[in-house]
Amino acid sequence: MALLSVRDLLVRFQTHDGTVYAVNGVSFDLDESETLGLVGESGCGKSVTNLAVMRLLPRPAGRIVGGHVYFQDEDLVGLDEAEMRDLRGKEIAMIFQDPMTSLNPVLTIEEQMVETIKAHKKVTGKEARARAIELLAMVGIPEPEPLLRNFPHQFSGGMRQRVMIAMALALEPKLLIADEPTTALDVTIQAQVLELLSRLAADHGTAVILITHDLGVVAGMTRRTNVMYAGFVVESATTANLFAKPSHPYTVGLLHSMPRLDAQPGEPLIPIEGTPPDLRFAPVGCPFAPRCAWRVEACWKEMPTLEPIVATSEVQMTGPLATHRAACWNRPTPEEAAAGRPLRDDFIPAALPIEAPR
Amino acid sequence: MLRFIVRRVLVAVPVLLGLSIILFMFLRLLPGGGPAEAILGQHATPQLVAQITAVEGLDRPLYVQYFEYLGRLLHGDFGASFIDGREVAATFLVRFPATIELTIGALIFAVGLGIPLGRLAARHPNGWIDGIVTVISLFGISIPVFVLGYTLAFFFGVELHWLPTFGQLDPRLPINPVTHFAIIDAILAGHWYVADAVSHLILPSIALGTIPFAVFTRITRASVIEVSNEDYVRTARAKGLTDRRVNDRHIMRNAWLPVTTVIGLETGALLAGAVLTETVFDWNGVGSWVVSSIQNHDYIVVQSLILIFAAIFLTVNLIVDIGYAFLNPRIRYS
Amino acid sequence: MATSSGLMIAPTARVSGGLWHDAFRRLRRNKPALVGIFFIAVFVTGAILAPWIAPYGPTVGSLSNNMQGPSLAHLMGTDLQGYDEFSRVLYGARISLTVGVVAVVFGLIGGTTVGAIAGGAGGIVDGVLMRVVDVLLAVPGILLAIGIVAWLGHGEIQIMLAVGVSYSPIFARLLRGSLLALRESDYVIAARSMGASPVRILLRHMLPNALTPLIVQATLAAATAIIDVAGLGFLGLGPGDPRVAEWGEMLTDSSRFLQDAPYLIFFPGAAIVISAVGFNLLGDGLREALDPRLKR
Repeated sequence: MALLSVRDLLVRFQTHDGTVYAVNGVSFDLDESETLGLVGESGCGKSVTNLAVMRLLPRPAGRIVGGHVYFQDEDLVGLDEAEMRDLRGKEIAMIFQDPMTSLNPVLTIEEQMVETIKAHKKVTGKEARARAIELLAMVGIPEPEPLLRNFPHQFSGGMRQRVMIAMALALEPKLLIADEPTTALDVTIQAQVLELLSRLAADHGTAVILITHDLGVVAGMTRRTNVMYAGFVVESATTANLFAKPSHPYTVGLLHSMPRLDAQPGEPLIPIEGTPPDLRFAPVGCPFAPRCAWRVEACWKEMPTLEPIVATSEVQMTGPLATHRAACWNRPTPEEAAAGRPLRDDFIPAALPIEAPR
Repeated sequence: MLRFIVRRVLVAVPVLLGLSIILFMFLRLLPGGGPAEAILGQHATPQLVAQITAVEGLDRPLYVQYFEYLGRLLHGDFGASFIDGREVAATFLVRFPATIELTIGALIFAVGLGIPLGRLAARHPNGWIDGIVTVISLFGISIPVFVLGYTLAFFFGVELHWLPTFGQLDPRLPINPVTHFAIIDAILAGHWYVADAVSHLILPSIALGTIPFAVFTRITRASVIEVSNEDYVRTARAKGLTDRRVNDRHIMRNAWLPVTTVIGLETGALLAGAVLTETVFDWNGVGSWVVSSIQNHDYIVVQSLILIFAAIFLTVNLIVDIGYAFLNPRIRYS
Repeated sequence: MATSSGLMIAPTARVSGGLWHDAFRRLRRNKPALVGIFFIAVFVTGAILAPWIAPYGPTVGSLSNNMQGPSLAHLMGTDLQGYDEFSRVLYGARISLTVGVVAVVFGLIGGTTVGAIAGGAGGIVDGVLMRVVDVLLAVPGILLAIGIVAWLGHGEIQIMLAVGVSYSPIFARLLRGSLLALRESDYVIAARSMGASPVRILLRHMLPNALTPLIVQATLAAATAIIDVAGLGFLGLGPGDPRVAEWGEMLTDSSRFLQDAPYLIFFPGAAIVISAVGFNLLGDGLREALDPRLKR
């Protein structure tokens, strides 16, 4: 039984400009103590999916319009706010991208940590304070006690993120969602924070969803990775397999647009042509089609589902033997993936059909 | 923190000095002649002018006169009214309590109604409550004190006879002017007289406080909305805190900051507006004194009153700034 | 263009016509702002066309006809002297409009000059100028205008100067703040790095951005100016010419008759409020329209 099981999640936003189709049928599982990477560019829905899991979508614009989020077999979508509050911070915790703006500037670190603890456990102020010191030490802050009285702006970026992590893990949640935790930090600090996250998750048996736009971040950190585009999961595999045998044109494109240490000097970076789709239109067909070098007729008409790249009788959604799946009508072969473009003779990507139903 | 206070006080001093220089010059540079002519007005004859010039030493070099003036100010001597001969300081102490009462009454109304209303409107932005509040605050900032004053007086005083429209107390009641605070004097006189004092305070407070009320509503609403969209509010929710806690500790504690600054500024508007309100409702405060002094060409009084008003305003702002530093740790520890 | 999702051939982002064009379009769609413009239009039209549409002159009437309630002949009644209130309200609009708007213009000119010098020069000049501004700001609200009128005496020009001076600190601070912030902003540094001359930077990059908060503030100041001018009139510090109808003075004259002739207070009062509401609505609308980054 998976710890978290998201099924066909649909999230839309109501804005002045109309409806935004942010998440269009996302499904994935997560086991206890497993670390899952969620990769995609800005606007692909990776953050929104997880905000939806926490039921923290900005109200009233954001709504879950379909699908289920099973956490320990309970569908979070149907829970009322009080029940969700119980879970938040205690069973499922989330840390955000910018630790400067994610901490309340007028409250001390102590106040912010203690309130988390006291919100879910009946402890005295002293006990909560002791626990806070313990947590700060755990995240590698030396001599934490005098720092409790400080305010967020008196810390450096790396320290602040450590405080956020400490706060998130205060009640030993089963699941930690880390939304771009290192994007706002210096590169050297990034590595430290990621390493800390990894170690703590292992020590406490916490499952982690690591959201990032940087493939490099998931490489060392996650066991499995899902790639998202325009509100869909387009590829799902163990991280090792994802890098070894990328099976979706988008993933191939991502890998080829990253500078690599093992590349030959002079080898060009191949950017992905075009721009991400406008999510104000309901998706028809595969959203990557306009930019895809492998596209065929079917791509314009129908969104492919996540299918194993190698036919198999039983699909493993989680774990080290998770089935490598991709959502593509015309998957790149391993050779094409290495080359970064289709290698079949006289293959022309299917042209845009002239008749465009709306 | 102490350094912060000292710094702010040091900044305020030259401002007051500068103002005193300007006001001093104001009296010496009146169009239509010098200060002697201005004081005498229609009664100016060459002999009287010469007399006053000699007595007041108006022919000495300006800087000498200024330093003497400054010296007297620092001793609390603000000169004397030309009309009734009484010392400005003395009359001020008698009349100022009325203005304080009025200002406090208006402030209580403006803050007590404006801030909760702003919060309420921010809860559902662009909803129907927000719409109503927006309209109310729009009219609030568009109605001058005197128009609203008379309108209120008409409806509640003349038509409905619910509230009095004249003065601070019913003149028929045996209340002795001990402190010159109508409410305190009424309490001292015993009985339920304080009810009379309060009833006289209601309409003027509403009239004076309406524009600040509207301003507070708008700024509170804007501040709460802005803070609600901040990342740390999202973090607070992600920690599973109750709505109440998120609202009070996370949203309001931060939303209060710009509101506090505006309270300081609006107090100035209240002080200035007291001039109009006291005229409408016939209160014997400092505001109506400014008006009557100008009409009577009692320029020494006008000069002193403006200086005192400015000093009060600067002090209020200083207190507000200190309060702000208290609330905002980023200022305190920078 | 096949840049959108699937088969949609969506238009790309609406062609932007520049800041002003966009702002104008946004303003047109803002209903409260349109109401505000309507109120202002009524007010301005009444003021400009007063000599032609007022049924009587502002001081035409006879004592025998005084204190009449509203009627067909006198839409807003007659006052203590027998003058037609409606005509006086129309003529009063001329005073409020001219004095109010010119006062704001004076304030803008004075304030922006000081602000531009302070913000542009920096250093000691900035420090001294801002101290002077602080002195002006130390006298709260209408009291400054009252003091200046007390000094200068009665008259329309005097009121314009007094009210204008009392607003100039706001504009000075606004412009100075904008200039200081813009000097350090990324795109100005970028322009400088491309070799643009300081004057060109000032004109093409800094000014348009510094201008928009000024425009908003000036519109809102017009609302306050109408109120302040009437306030001065109410306190007896108005233009002082008994032939001229001024809304504030009309209120003072009629205040004794609150019980008997409340309409003499309500009509000029309503005129003040509606004019102020108009400018406030427009000011709010402009603020929304001119800020391209404002999240709605």
